[in-house]
Amino acid sequence: MLTSHAPPTAPPVHSRAVLARPALAGVWVLFTLLVGTHPLHAQATPPGANGCVACHATQTDPRLATPAALFTQPDVHRENGFACVDCHGGSASSTEAAAAHAPAQGFKGKPAGQALVATCARCHSDASFMRRYAPKQRVDQAIEYAASVHGQQLAKGDHKVATCANCHNAHGIRRISDAKSPVFPTNVANTCAVCHKDTTRMAGYTLPGGAALSTHQFSDYQKSVHYAALTKGNDLSAPTCNDCHGNHGAAPPGVGAVTNVCGTCHAVFAQKFAASVHQPIFDKGCVECHGNHAVAEPSDQMLSAGAGGACAACHTAGDATDKGTAAAVAMRTGIERLKTGIDDSGSLIRRIKNAGIEVSDEQLALREAGTKLTLARTEMHGFDVARVEAILADGMKVVASVDSAGQKGVSELRFRRRGLAVSLGAILIFVVALGLKIRQIDRRDHERRATL
Amino acid sequence: MKVIDWVDERLDLSGVRHFVAHKGVPLHAQKVWYYLGGMTLFLFGVQVFTGILLLLYYRPSAAEAYESVQFIVTEVQFGWLIRNLHSWSANLLIGLAFAHFFSVFFLKSYRKPRELTWVSGMLLLFLMLAFGFSGYLLPWNELAFFATKVGTGIAGAVPVVGTFTLRLLRGGDDVTGATLSRFYGLHVAVLPAITTALVAVHLLFVQRQGMSVPIGVERKLKPGEPLPQMPFFPNYILRDVLAWYVVIAVLAALAAFYPWELGTKADPFAPVPAGIRPEWYFLATFHTLKLVPSHVLGIEGEHLGVVVFGAVAIFLVLVPFLDRRASRGQPSRLFTWLAALGLLYLVSFTIIGHYAK
Amino acid sequence: MFNRRRFLDALLSVGFVSTAAAMAYPVARFLVPPVSGEPPVDSAVAGRAGMLRPNSAAIFKFGTTPGIVVRTAEGDLRAFSAVCTHLDCTVQFRPDTSELWCACHNGMYDLGGNVVSGPPPRGLQKFTVNLRGEGDDAEIVVSRT
Repeated sequence: MLTSHAPPTAPPVHSRAVLARPALAGVWVLFTLLVGTHPLHAQATPPGANGCVACHATQTDPRLATPAALFTQPDVHRENGFACVDCHGGSASSTEAAAAHAPAQGFKGKPAGQALVATCARCHSDASFMRRYAPKQRVDQAIEYAASVHGQQLAKGDHKVATCANCHNAHGIRRISDAKSPVFPTNVANTCAVCHKDTTRMAGYTLPGGAALSTHQFSDYQKSVHYAALTKGNDLSAPTCNDCHGNHGAAPPGVGAVTNVCGTCHAVFAQKFAASVHQPIFDKGCVECHGNHAVAEPSDQMLSAGAGGACAACHTAGDATDKGTAAAVAMRTGIERLKTGIDDSGSLIRRIKNAGIEVSDEQLALREAGTKLTLARTEMHGFDVARVEAILADGMKVVASVDSAGQKGVSELRFRRRGLAVSLGAILIFVVALGLKIRQIDRRDHERRATL
Repeated sequence: MKVIDWVDERLDLSGVRHFVAHKGVPLHAQKVWYYLGGMTLFLFGVQVFTGILLLLYYRPSAAEAYESVQFIVTEVQFGWLIRNLHSWSANLLIGLAFAHFFSVFFLKSYRKPRELTWVSGMLLLFLMLAFGFSGYLLPWNELAFFATKVGTGIAGAVPVVGTFTLRLLRGGDDVTGATLSRFYGLHVAVLPAITTALVAVHLLFVQRQGMSVPIGVERKLKPGEPLPQMPFFPNYILRDVLAWYVVIAVLAALAAFYPWELGTKADPFAPVPAGIRPEWYFLATFHTLKLVPSHVLGIEGEHLGVVVFGAVAIFLVLVPFLDRRASRGQPSRLFTWLAALGLLYLVSFTIIGHYAK
Repeated sequence: MFNRRRFLDALLSVGFVSTAAAMAYPVARFLVPPVSGEPPVDSAVAGRAGMLRPNSAAIFKFGTTPGIVVRTAEGDLRAFSAVCTHLDCTVQFRPDTSELWCACHNGMYDLGGNVVSGPPPRGLQKFTVNLRGEGDDAEIVVSRT
């Protein structure tokens, strides 16, 4: 259950200077360390000390009852022996509200904003503490968070932004490897969308240039190949929000960084693009042609300065002086020619295969041509026509050899037909001779009967 | 000494010699229909011969069947020829069998004393259809797989025994490798054995009773006047051989110009391809079943259709016993009309079934 | 007429013999086992044992798809389908990293066929390797099961 926070007192501004507030980050770190050294809460409360749940579970107000109920569900803290008092303070053994909620016992109430971050960071930023429970888990989430847009906004007093509990929940926290966790790869986008899809909540936030921050990233993302791979293709390595924007240090990649981000998976394309003419020109790198959230399945149609092509954004179709247009045309025609060549060879091979000629070598070779086509499409991202054409030429050579083998198959078929014609000739001779013989025998019988 | 005399000394071929010397074939306007039976028999022989050749390389398992046929067609010398001959001859065989059936039906050759010849012939016709159905699955390609699924599904529509029959045919609830094994056993062992026995019986009857003469011709004869005859050997037999050679030529041309496709290997998990239908010789009945409404007077349409076809089959087998006029040697207009109707139905529904979506 | 009958009989004999030969010849050729031996369903010969030095590999034909047989640095023989599980490009062996690499989009597989990095969603299909014969001349027989 995600908790909501009080509305801000001042109009929030989404600042672009993400990296200019290390000082604030430092203050947070000190704050969490200070709170974290309180001896009473440096270790888990012994089990059995759950007077909190006993009382809160019977409350009618859902704000009091729900957290208690959630904490009894699968919860990684409870399973490791932590109880309510370890985060909220107070006394677990008291049965009376005032005593249980005594500030003298360290009762904090419901932490919010920076206090909430500090509460979590008290343990989660303590390496020696975390080593006792989850030795491989990172302990720099709070520092990352301070560098994120969420963290920086929170530091400015904006309480609409997400804190630890918004994404991980406060009670009923599941491990991130649990498929029901809000931060399990398939759930991450939904979790981010809870706020980022909400037009009322996101009203007033702007991009660095001053344009309003959109709220259709999630609906765009749902149209993408990445989303399809994640949800339908069961490929958990497919990117969701945190893969490109970061986990705790979430922020958009920024100018010049987009290619690097995409390149963490699409390494070859990023490499070729980085060496290409477009690298210094494209502000948004890969996003210029492929989009950022609604990344669609790429197609050869994109390689065109005409209608529907990605090049049309900057290059003019039909303009003889436009080198980019010429390059697009050259690469596209070459790719289409290889595609058609492969298709035509494929149908020729299929035809003679069905007629009974052995074609497995040719089918193997056509695979290689298909590989060249894929390589050409990859090479295209370097926008160097000569290199693309070199690969396409290799592919066409393969297609040509398959075609000639196919032609040999066709001539074998023709040879069979000729063989058939010869045998039909022999049969014809025999049939004619037989017909004549039958006539002869009939005539002989007729004559014999006539003489009787 | 000639070989034939050497055998005669030991086995006494005088009966055979007498038979061969005296057997005659009646001469009249309709004698051309006499050749159909022999041509059907010849094609059956072609099927047995090419079938045995294919047996040497074919592998009857779901994993290997398709590949073995592909092997035959691409690697084995003249494998393409043998396989195509077998596939085309199967279709020609069924076509000629139906032509033979209709010619006998129209000419009323089934009348007394040839009722049993007709019964054995009808059973042979059904056996040919069973051969076609079982053999079609053996290449284990997509079309065959789904056609078998549909066909055995229709068999399952027979009331009372339907489910049992379906499981018996399929070797289980679905069409699987078990079905392939079963159909293979049927196609190469069971059906050939039964067919050989029935063909022997059928031929024995024909030789024993001689060729039937159309009722009209019989009635025009004056009492005691013999019908002009052609000696069976060598006149008729040479004409038979001529007809067989023409059939060979047609088969060879079909095999070379219209080779049978390999298709794609059957995938039980793939969706049924659109417009799946059986081979042409089942198209008429298949399309009829498609046209029957799903419920007729409370009975399920498919059940009704299958029962009606069963009834028609039984009727056809019993025709010689039902056609009283023909057994008395009198013209039987009713049965001529029935035959014409049957032919019209089969031809038109086959064509409609072929062009229907 | 005598001549004609003899001529006709001769023609008939010639016709019969030639048509019989035209029918018997394909049947005879059919019966002779073809070069390939048997349908290449489940196995293929990838080459001779001696052709692969340690830390090298070779592409071979498995039906209609490419396969790759690898001799590891320790001397084991392994065989996989050379079809990359990403977009069907043919993988190759990289002796510098001892991994199987797909040039199309930089997919990497280890010598167990498992995906190490890059876009491939699944590992390479593994084949069984057997040796038929002795020493360097032994045939490497790769089978699907």
